[in-house]
Amino acid sequence: MRPELLKGHLDALLLAVLEPGPQHGYAVIESLRSGSDGALDLPTGTVYPALHRLERAGLIASDWQTVGGRRRRAYHLTQAGHIALTEQRALWDQFSTAVTALLKRRTWPATA
Amino acid sequence: MASDRLATSTGTRPKDALAAYLSDLAVQLPGPRRRRDAILTELRDGLEQAMQDRIATGLPRDRAAAAAISQFGSPHAVADAFGGELTTAYARRTIVWFIVTGPLVGIWWLLLLHLSPWRTGLIALVAAIPVIPLIIAAIATAGGTLATTGRLMRWLPETGPRRALAATIAIAMLCMIIDLTMITMITVIMVSSAPTRPLMIIASAASLIRIVCSITIVQHAIRMRV
Repeated sequence: MRPELLKGHLDALLLAVLEPGPQHGYAVIESLRSGSDGALDLPTGTVYPALHRLERAGLIASDWQTVGGRRRRAYHLTQAGHIALTEQRALWDQFSTAVTALLKRRTWPATA
Repeated sequence: MASDRLATSTGTRPKDALAAYLSDLAVQLPGPRRRRDAILTELRDGLEQAMQDRIATGLPRDRAAAAAISQFGSPHAVADAFGGELTTAYARRTIVWFIVTGPLVGIWWLLLLHLSPWRTGLIALVAAIPVIPLIIAAIATAGGTLATTGRLMRWLPETGPRRALAATIAIAMLCMIIDLTMITMITVIMVSSAPTRPLMIIASAASLIRIVCSITIVQHAIRMRV
């Protein structure tokens, strides 16, 4: 799937991936890939800057940990992030229902 | 430099490849050094994790390192991708610097001109300091840019990196005009007034320092826009 198709939805996807618990950047990339059965194989240059932007917006926060001698930055949802994810889910439900209804093969009523 | 620290922490050849990749990336990343160092540390962890995952699937270490690097993309592409965030970080940090140093410069001018806004009123203040509208414009630009590149961008339209940088340049230019106007004004009015000379020197020196800093900031910001 082309990354540009995700425009406008990447924030919600990242928030959803972080909803179960904290994850580091590479784990987020892997979660997006595995959670979409390989359809969302996003490049590093897309995911890491998007995480930084979400942190700037206050929707996620990060902590530095030391894991196996390496410094690791783990991201987690903030309260505002949980609220934003709920809103994004509702918007997506509305949007996808409307688009699915329109894309279904059917006969359109003729206009006079 | 971050790249030096990263290079010295490597031992085996695959890790050398990761360090070389990160060193290459470090040269190409723009923006504040602390932010760049944090990004490099974060990417090093991601690269090493990606390499470990491939080793776990049976790939030899050197091929695992090459595959991890390939997955992350070329240093140029990654630096380009981080460019926007680092530019915004630079703009925000610089604007905060202007906000913090503003009162430190302004207080000397208020003391020098014997002005007490809370006693003389706003009209008298504007008459005595003709640059007040420019100060208000600089504060409004700074506040607006900080708000729309920070937490308030959840509700307000987000300011992109190029516009944030343009706002930084505008604030620096406004500060230069403000400082030059104040120095010129005080030189004309108070050059013969002996009792105020020490304050005049301090106020002018503070403004001159900010002018030099503003010129450096404008040059740096213009280089980042190219």
